[in-house]
This record gives sequence, structure tokens and C-alpha cells, in this order.
Amino acid sequence: MRWRVVRAVTRTAFLEFWRSPAAVFWTYGFPLGMAFVLGFAFQPAALPPVPVAVIASPGAEHYATMLRRSARLDVEVLDEADADRALARGRVALSLHVQDGAPVLRSDPTRPEAELARLLVERAMIDASPQAASIAPVRHEVEDRPGARYIDFLVPGLIGLNLLGAGMYGVGFNLVQMRTQNLLRRLFVTPMRRSEFIAGYLLGRSVLVLPEALVIVLFGTLLWGVPLRGSVLALLSIVVVGGLCFSGIGVLCASRARTIETISGLINAVMLPMWILGGTFFANENLEGPTRWAAEAMPLTHVNRALRTVMLEPCGLLDVLLPLGGFAALGGLCFWLALRMFRWQ
Amino acid sequence: MTSAADAAPAIELAGLRKAFTKGRETTVAVDHLDLVVRRGEVFGLLGPNGAGKTTTVEICEGLTAPDAGEVRILGRSWRDGDDGAIRARIGVCLQETRFHEHATVREVLALFRVSFERGRSVDEAMALVSLEEKADARQKSLSGGQRQRLAVAAALVGDPELLFLDEPTTGLDPQSRRQLWQVVRDFRAGGGTVLLTTHYMDEAEQLCDRVAVVDRGRVIALDTPAGLIRSLGAEHFVTADVVADSGVAPTEAELRALPDVAAAAFDTAPGSVRLTLTVRSVHRALPALLTLLEQRGLVLGGLSTRHATLEDVFVHLTGRQLREGGAA
Ligand SMILES: Nc1ncnc2c1ncn2[C@@H]1O[C@H](COP(=O)(O)OP(=O)(O)OP(=O)(O)O)[C@@H](O)[C@H]1O
Ligand SMILES: [Mg+2]
Repeated sequence: MRWRVVRAVTRTAFLEFWRSPAAVFWTYGFPLGMAFVLGFAFQPAALPPVPVAVIASPGAEHYATMLRRSARLDVEVLDEADADRALARGRVALSLHVQDGAPVLRSDPTRPEAELARLLVERAMIDASPQAASIAPVRHEVEDRPGARYIDFLVPGLIGLNLLGAGMYGVGFNLVQMRTQNLLRRLFVTPMRRSEFIAGYLLGRSVLVLPEALVIVLFGTLLWGVPLRGSVLALLSIVVVGGLCFSGIGVLCASRARTIETISGLINAVMLPMWILGGTFFANENLEGPTRWAAEAMPLTHVNRALRTVMLEPCGLLDVLLPLGGFAALGGLCFWLALRMFRWQ
Repeated sequence: MTSAADAAPAIELAGLRKAFTKGRETTVAVDHLDLVVRRGEVFGLLGPNGAGKTTTVEICEGLTAPDAGEVRILGRSWRDGDDGAIRARIGVCLQETRFHEHATVREVLALFRVSFERGRSVDEAMALVSLEEKADARQKSLSGGQRQRLAVAAALVGDPELLFLDEPTTGLDPQSRRQLWQVVRDFRAGGGTVLLTTHYMDEAEQLCDRVAVVDRGRVIALDTPAGLIRSLGAEHFVTADVVADSGVAPTEAELRALPDVAAAAFDTAPGSVRLTLTVRSVHRALPALLTLLEQRGLVLGGLSTRHATLEDVFVHLTGRQLREGGAA
């Protein structure tokens, strides 16, 4: 490889990307906007009360008053037919019926909110009973310390997602576009080598992931106090090596695709499962069976995990050497395959 | 120093064959084609759409592998272990390439220059095609002709010995075409060899030292432009439109009996008859024709003469027009 050639290709690839505002926006601006919107949407906030119905009958008012003392319950007194309908539609999670002077709770246990409603109602009854005073009072604290909130989980995941998008769209897609416009074959008839082209192209298309990741981290820190407890060097290493790993997957997908349709399909096939199971929006550690295996097989899962480790735990470069080695190995394998399979036309 | 490879012709093609298969249909694009392009000449491939010109050129450029046949470029073969050595000595202008949309003229040329160990400077290459004023203009703001000139400059920036130009002037205005012709002539004057394809016979006549007429993947004639035209046996055409029913039209035999007339044809249009004579010399045939028409009392509606072109050669060889829509 001749560095002056690599440099020239890098420069061209970077400028081409930088000068097309739409590409920059969809690759970098959009994930940033999403981080912003999701960050605000998932601020820690009071949970909404759970709606329950008390069926009108002579003893009903006593129970309704008792339940209304709980801030977590939204109590309505309805006649039986209305209460059944509300329960069937899911408008209330539970109904309370006074039969022979004793309360009967009715709910569909397959609805997730039913269990919660039952516990809240029983709790309200215990609180109202004379024995309540003998139970040691339990104090409850809202967990809103930095590092443990959903936003703290989300921000590292968005960096991971962004690396994935930059590798697939920023690197892979455009390569096929160059192929369709005959530009690759035109370069092929010059003394440029494949390795020079691919290395330069890749650098040019992915240098932006670094500032982008920094901007997301800065965003998180300034707006929501998301911590960065590990070393900055470790974080940057994961961004760079993880980014190269996804770029490798992108180049591999693009190495033979001849049409925009093919590459779009391939990119979707790679990205969609990772969006869902890659652990960006929801933790995938408590999945079970084949979905868990699939999630564990996804590079995004591991990139996200490494990013979370570095951001939320005090650790240094040495603590993430193993995942870094993994990303480098996978990325290297993809490049090696891409180089062998690459077609200029 | 001259080695055997340096003395070899610029291009040698022997028994070249290439077929494309799509589904059940097989198109034979190049069909046992033989060709030798000498060093220092401008060689033209002339033929209609789909004749196999681009396929042939791309085989020479190493972009397409032939199904059969020998290809030697500057004395070397492709896929012989050192393709880079050939690529360092050729310049290529593909039939259609879109460069980076947001790149400037200067940047495109710099990218195509960088992988050559020696070559022209970017400024020199721009000057060759008079694009200095557009040096910092981006692709999308260039006109079609300017893009085409840039493509040629990108082919020249590595200072090649052998230049491939696939329809370099298609879609250009007459001035830009002439400008590009001058670029090709200058390149040849500097000792370079050119293989170009074209639909334009005037281009082939003006520019090429030798022309191969290609049809359906084969070379059907090969000579200098003048030699090809001479092969028609007559080099001029006289066309006379006579007003119908203004007199007794001469027969074909009568027309052919006129001095230096090789062939005659009739075309009847409403209200007039067009006589087309193929003649060896206009100055002898024309007065005789006019005299004959006057004797018959025929009224002339129009009269023109033109020199035979390669188009006529093609029609003569294949019975078809080179381009749909007739001669240019
Ligand atoms: N990649 C390909 N796949 C299938 N068929 C092809 C391919 N390339 C060329 N052909 C066919 O081979 C024949 C020759 O094509 P070619 O492009 O060489 O013609 P050409 O002389 O350059 O024509 P034009 O003047 O239109 O550029 C055509 O019938 C074309 O359809
Ligand atoms: Mg062609």
C-alpha cells in the first residue's frame, strides 16, 4: 500500500460525504436527533395511576374511599355491567365486588397491569387495617442517581447504533453507488490497488464517527448528567475499533452487490435484527433461548455492552481489551473476505 | 533500450470472442475479431449500436475477460501477473462514467493522477482540455461537454502511451468536438497511440489513420479512411431532383452510360423524382447529366453533390445505415 494513494482516496471519500448534506444528516444528524428526543421522552417521571373499578353496591363506598387513599390508584365506582365492559376493554385493570360483606377482586391475570393493580389494591387494604401500624414502615426511594436511569442505558446504546449505521449506510451503500456509476471500474483501470482503495475509502467515510460519538456523549453529560466513569481512551478505542468492525461488515455487504436494491436489502437484513435485539433500546440480557443466542451473536450487543461498561463503570483500556480484540478480529475477517470477493464492476 | 515488448504493436487481438448470456438468450458481442493497432497511430472502431465496439475496447482495457482469443497490450497480456505494469501505461475514457458528484475538476484529476508513479501535473491535464476556468467547479455544475473533456483529461493525466477513448465526442457541440480532436492529434504528435470508437464517420475520417468497420462483432473492412472510400469504386454522389411529369425520365441504363458514372438509383416522392448517381469524377459526370436532362425537357427542382463518406462504405458493405435515422 502506498500511503499517498490511501490519503488521496480518503480525502476524496471524506469530501464527497461531507459535501452532501443529506448523507451527513441521515447518517449522523438523525441519530443525534433521536438521542435527543428519546432522552427527553424517558426522563424519570411519576408513573401514571392504575385504573380500577369498584362495583356499586351497599358496601362499595367504604372500599372506594379506602382505595382512593393510594396515590397509585385511580378509582371509579361503576355498576356491574359497566365495570365488566371496562374490564373487558382493558380500560380498568381490575374490578372490586363486595359480596356478602367481603371484597372479591376480579382481573385477567394475563394482562401485565392486572398483577400490579391487585398488589396495589391489597396494599391499600393493608394500610387501612388496624394491624398496619405493627408492620415496620418501609421507606422507598426513587432511583434517579446518574448511571442507573434509562437514559444512562440509552446513550451508550445510541452510540453503538450510530456506529452500525455509519458502517452500513456511510460505507457500504455508497460503495455500490460508485459501482453503479462506473466510477469503480474507471478507478480499476488505473494502477490503484484494491487495498489502497478500500483502506482509503473506509477511512474517509468513517472518520466522522469519532466526533459524532463525542457529541452524543457531550449531549448526554450536559443535558441529563449521563456519567463517563471509565477512561476516555477506552471509550475512543471502542468507538474506533467498533466502528471499523461495522465498516468491515458494510464493505463486505457491498463487495459484490451490483444494484442499489441489493445493497439496500442486505443493509436492512443486517441492521434490522440488531436494531431490535442488539440491546440499544432494551436490555437483551434477560432474553431466553434462541433469541438470546441470536442477541449474543450480534456485534452490536457486544459494542453496546463495552460502551456501557466504559461509561457507567470506572474502568480503563485494559478492562475492554477482550471486546476490542473481538471487534478487531471480526472487522479484520470481514475486510479480508471483502478484499478477496471485491468486484470493481 | 528496446526490448521485444517495446517493439511490439500497441494492441494485438487474435481470434477474440465474447458472448453474454442472460437467461436463455446469448448475445455474441465479439465474434472472432482480429486486429493489430500499430504504435503511434490513431485507430478507429466504427460501427452501429451494439456492434461490439465497447466490448472490444473493454477487453483491451482488462475490464472484461474474453471467452477466447489472444490479447496483447503493449506486448503484455492481462492476468499475467503484472496488470499494474499495463495500467501504468494506458489511459482510459469509458463510454460512460460519473465522477464524484461533489468533487471539483481539480480533485477528480488529482485522484486519477495519484496512483501513477509518473505523469502530468493536474494543471497540465486541465490545460490540455481547456478546463482551467472550471478548475474549482464541482461535477454537478459542469455541462455534458465539460464532463466529457474532464473524462479525457483524467485519461491523460497519467501520461499514457496508449489511450482508449470510447465515444469521446458523443453529445458534444461541434466546437467541443473539434477541441477534443485537437487533443487527440496533439497526443498522437507526442508519439502516443489511440484506440477510439465512434459513430461519427466525419470523426473517423478526420482523426483516424486507420479505421476498422465493425458489425456484429466482426471487422468487415479495415483501411485508411481514404482507402475505404476508394474501395467503393466511386467517391462522389450527385443528387438531382426533377419535377415529375415535366418530361421523359431517363432509364438507369442511360444514366450509367454517362461518363464516370458507376451506379444510379431512383427515389420517387410526390411531385418529384430523385436521381442519385455514384460517380468517379463530378466534373465529367455532372455536365453530361445536365445535358441529358435538358434534352428530355425535365425541369430541375434541386441539385447537389457530395463526397462519399464512411457512411456510404458501411451502407455498401452491409446494406444498412450506420445510425438509425440515416446519414449525418
Ligand atoms: N454486460 C453485458 N451483458 C449482456 N449483454 C451485453 C453486455 N455488454 C454488452 N452486451 C451486448 O453485446 C453487444 C455489443 O455491445 P457493445 O456495448 O460492445 O456495443 P457497442 O458497439 O459499443 O455499441 P454502442 O455504439 O451502442 O456503444 C450488444 O448487443 C449488447 O447488448
Ligand atoms: Mg459502446
